Order: sequence, then C-alpha cells, then structure tokens
Amino acid sequence: MNAIRVHQFTAAIGPRDAVSHHTFEVDTLLRDLGYETEIFAQHSHPDLRDRVHDYRLHADLEADVLLYQASTGSRVGDYVLTRTEPLIVNYHNLTPAEMFDPWEPHVGAELDAGRRQLGRLARKALRGLADSHFNAAELEAAGLGDVVVAPVLFDPPPLRRSASIDVGEPPTVLFVGRLSPNKCQEDLIAATAALREWIPDVRLKLVGGTSSHRYETALREHAQRVCPGGVEFAGSVSETQLADLYAHADVFLCLSEHEGFCVPVIEAMAAGTPVVAFAAAVLPETIGNAGILLEDKSPTNVAVALERVLTDRELRAWLVEKGRARAATFSPERNRAIMREALRAAVEVCV
Amino acid sequence: MSRADQAEGICLVACQAVTNANADDSQAYVNQVRAEIEAEAEARRRRDPELQRREREIERVWIEVAPPGAAGDQGELLLDRADRLATIDVDVPLGAKPGIRQLKGAIRKVAYWYLRYVSDQVNALNNVLTRLLRRFDERLSVLEDAVGIADGGGLLDPIPEPDGAVAELVASILGAQTGRTVVLGCGSGVLVRPLHDAGIAVHGVDVDALVILPGVRDGLDLRAFDPGAHLAEARPGEFGSIVAAGFVEDLGPASAQRIVEQSLVAASNGTVVIVTGDPAERGIVERELRAGRGLSPATWAYLFERTGAAVELVGTPDPRFRTLVVARLS
Repeated sequence: MNAIRVHQFTAAIGPRDAVSHHTFEVDTLLRDLGYETEIFAQHSHPDLRDRVHDYRLHADLEADVLLYQASTGSRVGDYVLTRTEPLIVNYHNLTPAEMFDPWEPHVGAELDAGRRQLGRLARKALRGLADSHFNAAELEAAGLGDVVVAPVLFDPPPLRRSASIDVGEPPTVLFVGRLSPNKCQEDLIAATAALREWIPDVRLKLVGGTSSHRYETALREHAQRVCPGGVEFAGSVSETQLADLYAHADVFLCLSEHEGFCVPVIEAMAAGTPVVAFAAAVLPETIGNAGILLEDKSPTNVAVALERVLTDRELRAWLVEKGRARAATFSPERNRAIMREALRAAVEVCV
Repeated sequence: MSRADQAEGICLVACQAVTNANADDSQAYVNQVRAEIEAEAEARRRRDPELQRREREIERVWIEVAPPGAAGDQGELLLDRADRLATIDVDVPLGAKPGIRQLKGAIRKVAYWYLRYVSDQVNALNNVLTRLLRRFDERLSVLEDAVGIADGGGLLDPIPEPDGAVAELVASILGAQTGRTVVLGCGSGVLVRPLHDAGIAVHGVDVDALVILPGVRDGLDLRAFDPGAHLAEARPGEFGSIVAAGFVEDLGPASAQRIVEQSLVAASNGTVVIVTGDPAERGIVERELRAGRGLSPATWAYLFERTGAAVELVGTPDPRFRTLVVARLS
C-alpha cells in the first residue's frame, strides 16, 4: 500500500521564526507517522531551500491531504483554496487589523484580507488545529466546526539560573517579541520609567526584530524622552544569546494587548525568570497561575508589581518554581506527543 | 473492574484532587498578590500626587510621538499646545484687576470646549471614514462572491478549450514571431502544444492547478498562477507574443482594457492573440450567469486599434471560437 501523502504549506520559511520551526517539527512528526510529506512556501530563506519547495511547483503534484500553517494572509492560502484535496488548517493567529491601522495601514489591509482568507480556508477545511483555546475559538468563529487544540512546537532555551537576582548587576526587565503595536512595547517603557523612581538603575531590554519601522522610531523617541539610558533595543538575536538574556533577566514583562500563544512567556518560565503580564488575549491561558497577571497596566501599577517581584524573595522563589512547573507542561516531548496524535487523527479524518 | 483498576482509579482521583487543591491554592495566592499590588499602587498615588503627574507626562510623550489615532486623547494634547501658544495663564498675578482673571478663565474654558469639540469631530470623521472603507472592502468581497469573480462562480462549467484546429491556426500566426510566447488561461495546454512542438519557447499559465495537470504530465511548461497577475508582473518586452484565452471571458470592460495596456508593455512590438467566444452567441443560461463579463472579438479589436495596433480578425472552424483577434503591436 502506498504511503499517505501529506503536503504542508506555509507563507514563509525563515530561521528563528516560530511558525517555521513549528512547520519543520510537524514535517518530522508526519514522517514518523509514516506519511510522505513535503513543505511548500511562497518565500523561503536561501539556507533552507533544500528543505522547502516553491509552492508554484506544487501544481503538477498530487497529495492525499493538504496541511496549511495559517499565520497571515498569503498567495499560498489562495493556492490551497484552488486545490481539491482534503485540507487541515493549523492556526497560529492573526493580529487584529485595527492595531496596525494607525502605524502601517497597508499591513492592516493585509491582515484584513488574511482574516477573510482564513474564513474561506475555515469553510473548506475538514479539521482545524489551534495552539491555544483562544485561537481555537477564533478558528471556530471563522467557520470551522471541528477544531482540536494542539500546542505550537518549540524548544525552550536551557535552564541556566537559580531564583536569585544577579548580585551587583542592575535589575533587568526583559521582553522578547517583535516590535509590533499589538505587543505594546510603549507600555513596557512607561512602566520602566515609573519604576526608575524607586529603582533608578533598572533596565529594560527589548529583544526582537521589527514589524513597523514607524512604530520602532516612535518607541525609540519615547524611550529617550521618558526613560533616557534605561531601554536597550537588542534587535534579533541568536538562540545562544537569547538563552543568555533569559538567564540574566530578573523579570519577564509582557503587556501585549494581543497574542495568539506567546512562546517567550514559556521560554522565560523554563529559564527560571518570573513573569508579570497584562491579562489580555491568550496570556491568562498560557500563563495559568504561574505568573502575576495584571488587570490594570497603568505605569504605576506595573511598576509596583515589578518592584514587588524584584524585592520579595519569597514571591520570587514561588514564581520561579511555579513557572518551571508550568513550562514543563509545555515540554517539547509532551508537545510533540500531543501534536503527533492530533496530526494522526486529523489525517484519518481526511482520508 | 479489578482491584488494581480500582486502586489506580482511586489514586487518580486522589492525585487529581491534590492537583486541584494546589491549583486553587496557587490561584488564591496570585490573586492575593495582585490585590496587594493594586492596593499599594493606589496608596502610593494618594500619598504622592507627583506620581499621577508623572504618569500623565509619560502618556503625553507617547501621544506626541505616536501618529494620530494610535494613542490617548488627541484633544488633551491639542489643549496643552493651545495653552502654550496662547500664553494664557490664569494664575498670573492680577493686582487690582480682578475681572481679568474671570475673563481669562472664561476664554480658557471656551477654548477648551471648542478644541475638544473640534478634535472629537475630526477623530469621529476619521473613524467613520476608516470604518466606511472597511465596509466598502467587505461589500466588494460579497459582490465578488455573488458574481463569482472570487471563487469562479461554480454554477457554470469551465470555459471550454478551443479545438486542435484553432491551436494550429494560432501556431501558424505566431510561427515567425521571435521571443518567448505566453499562453494566459492555458487550460490543459491545447494552445501550448503546437507552439511547443514547433520549437517555440512557450509556457502557459492558468489559475486552476488541476486543469493544467494533464499538460504538465505531457511535458509542457504550464504553471498554476493567476494569468492577470502573471501579465501584470511581466517585465517590459519580456514576451514576443501573448495568447489570451479562457479567463478573458470572465473579464469586464475595465479589466479587458487593463489586459490591453499591460500587453503593450509586456509584448511591445510583439503580437497578441485573443481567443474568445462571442458573448452574443452564448446560450440563455450562460448569458445570464456570465452577464456583464466577456467582450466580443469585435470589441477586443476596437480596444487594440485605439492603441495604434494593427488588428486582424481571423476566422476559425471552431463553432465556439469563430474569430480570433490578432493584434500586432508597434
């Protein structure tokens, strides 16, 4: 009997990209399950082209099942819609267009188009996979009735620290994520500026590339004016550098208005960094009871929370312990086992 | 149920109970910490009015550096600026002129309310326009779905491909042409085959990945892509000749005109052949379901003639595609 052919599609494949990493992990799991599988993308990084095909070359191929990694609107999505094979959609969330409108209206328009495309994909797909209940609800609202929650596949950086603060070093507040309006880095800067009233040498490190140069420019000016010398824009970093940043951070702060899963929160917990976050979108689901979730992110409120986590040894130790336990529930082995089963069941539905 | 199963079941229930208890304890603890944090923040604000001023200052800076609509209340910023520009200071020493203080206070209040009114109106207009544009976009999508542009309709059979005689005729017309030929809306490759066999560098493009499969398997260079987008993205002079078929019967006049203009760029000094049926000869069902789409060969000829091209109408034996439009661009 011939092996079942599952062809995987995604908009773009690149290094240090969460959806790309997930796509490769899924590729490995599909092979483990005995399926024939290939990855097709619209854009791929030159270093990865031996593992990824241009989606336009797919036209003369036949598959038994198509699997689409949905994280943005794309031509690949349009192409998948023209195919007749059974479709599985793995949804990683789309940022609401309104968040980009004042900064990059064209990106807002693309996100709008992406959401409409998601609706068409949802109506065509036989099974949906979503990496959180928050995303599952969005996919169901888009029109897909059969959605299973299966985690995004990622490898957290190695554990390298104890619960104590680095002695002699100024306290460091860390956030990891692209500079993007939905992640509200301006609130992180505002909170750090407020905290400097009580802890003058505290620093904020913002790690990640940028989704909007206009937003980045505004953030830099904001930081210069309200928190001069207190904010470091570290840009995109290697995995080793990232592990090092987690290891030396004293608290991980996330004040995003919108996240689909937020892998860095789990990475921080795994690295033993206490987490403080704004209770919005998926963050209560991802963090559980293992971090401080704030309902109010006014600068003073967040600054008081940060000061408490930095100075209350008992609370700090508790958060580190609970964070590690929480991160363990997203361990790579467990995630792969759940995703493997979800993929097997989804393919069975389709063939 | 065996004893072992019972024991395991009891153990599972007990473990779950412990887990739930731990979860409850954790929830209670983080709730308590959060409440303490909020209370402490509030207490500090009360103790130190400077803290609130500092918060407002941080917010004001962000509003200044962010674009309109991205942050905060634009009206407050306008008011701050108006205050500075107007150099109105209601607390200036007044000496023996107490009436001036009241007058300045009244001016400031009127200016405040007027500016707030204006900024509210501007913001409201901006929001309405943005929502309106979104609605237009959504309506357009609905309209596309309704007339079948976005999803190909689905009610009609695909437009049939011309027969082999038409293909041979097209090949003979383009036989002497130099440069690459592209067949837009190539279907399974009927129009591509004779050109390929004649040794002409040719490829076909069709939006339907399944329709092109037989031709691809026969060794033809057929690509699954939107034909209109393929033409729009072509470099100037990229093609020696262009054959357009199939998808052209789903185009309205504006889209057809765009194809003509893009052909002039992509095949400057080349030849364009339009293979289309005449909408006037459609059956009643197709006429109604494809209403407003597709132009007759005579209209295509007219569009090309307007650009200065030499146009020829060539008859064929195919009853659906009776006339080819051959435009020689210059």
